[in-house]
Amino acid sequence: MSHKRLILQAFLMLVSLMVAYGTLIAQNAIPSETKVMEPIPTESRRLSLETAGAFVNDGFRIRDGEWSGKLSGGAPLILQVTLFAGENYWFVAASQANRIPLRITVYDATGKPVKGLTWHDPFQEKGERSGSRSAAGIVPNQSGKYYVGIEFVENSATQNGPIDFSMVYCYK
Amino acid sequence: MLTGRYFAILIMATLGSLRASTPPAPDFNLRPLTEPQMQGAVFLDALSVPSPGEIFSALNKVCRPNWATLVTPATAPVTTERSQLALVVGVLAANGYVAVEAQDGQQVKNVGREMMIVAKSLGVSQSLLGRGNSLMEFADNNDWEALSDELEATENEVKNTMVDQKDHDLVTLTSAAAWIRGLEIATRIVLSSDSLLGKEELRQPELARRLAAQLNAIPDRMRRGLLVPAVRQTLESTASLLDDPETNPEALRKRFSKIHDDCSAVVKLILNTPAPTATPSLSPFASPSSSTKPGTMTNPSKP
Repeated sequence: MSHKRLILQAFLMLVSLMVAYGTLIAQNAIPSETKVMEPIPTESRRLSLETAGAFVNDGFRIRDGEWSGKLSGGAPLILQVTLFAGENYWFVAASQANRIPLRITVYDATGKPVKGLTWHDPFQEKGERSGSRSAAGIVPNQSGKYYVGIEFVENSATQNGPIDFSMVYCYK
Repeated sequence: MLTGRYFAILIMATLGSLRASTPPAPDFNLRPLTEPQMQGAVFLDALSVPSPGEIFSALNKVCRPNWATLVTPATAPVTTERSQLALVVGVLAANGYVAVEAQDGQQVKNVGREMMIVAKSLGVSQSLLGRGNSLMEFADNNDWEALSDELEATENEVKNTMVDQKDHDLVTLTSAAAWIRGLEIATRIVLSSDSLLGKEELRQPELARRLAAQLNAIPDRMRRGLLVPAVRQTLESTASLLDDPETNPEALRKRFSKIHDDCSAVVKLILNTPAPTATPSLSPFASPSSSTKPGTMTNPSKP
């Protein structure tokens, strides 16, 4: 009888380890990288364009291009941009992953963070809307090269693996 | 009884392993970028290179250019040289933005038509037919904002098709040409004002240098002839001229005149139908006079 119990115990432990391992693999997998073609447009792009649409109502123009990729917690990705003095810019990022605290930071040519406006989706924080959205706005006081950094902070509410993101920017 | 206990163990073990895999939240204080981060920054043609529309929008803020006097009809050259055709797409796109700013619907249509001809020569016209029709429709309806968006989308669609056809280097040529044509127009606007209004907006030496470096890296077969080396040389000299923090107004004016003349000469070269010998006769730096005309700004005051 005790022999049977031991076998059952060992079996259940093995199953629990397999379930945990499987969950981790699923979180860290990057399935879309192996895909031949991404859906057009991706859900993240759709969300970023939808969010940027609010700025269009305020006279902003959205650039046709998009920056997309996979973002891991604690590892910011950096994009170089060329901005003009006196122009208003909003950088809008979105992810199809729910309730991810995306943070966008604009840096000047020397790498120093530039002060500006930030926007976070209040509905997302309350869990009332799917996906994650965030935006950062600046008015550069000199023309030239700038950097835009995007990152997210992992916490118990977010997933650990890489998440899809899409960033667009608008100007006026 | 036993099953319930083992089920509880199973749940706890699963949750425990998940919790252990969640790292603590990193420091959220803003820190400057490190040199490797800046060096490794992504450079995307579609976002890192500003569209001519962006330059013009910035200039509209500091002065009020008379865009109607800046519209220049351009015809695509008759050529089969793909590098030249890619450069022509860039010039035409910039011309389209000028026409949109001038709210000249007929000129936008002409630009759209010329772009379609070039796209056909490049073999990328199939996906562009819809774009061409949209340009015509928006021009007919005087929908200037939609036209501006459509122009950028058309340019990007040409570039995307180039990438699909493994012609990624042509994309750099298109971007460089659009930037040069935009700079030619923009410097003309700046020079038309006594106090060089808008000069600060054009200080983008890094971009000119970056585009020149990209042109340096394209295959030799694309750098044959005078055209691509002339574009690269113009970008390099422009970068040097914009880099120097000159404050003397006269020296600055000379500097902007030089940029304008160089850009103007190279744009002419791009739009020039090559002679049958395939050696363009016009040197981009042989233009002796500036085409700058005073009075292209109607109301040079800050809004």
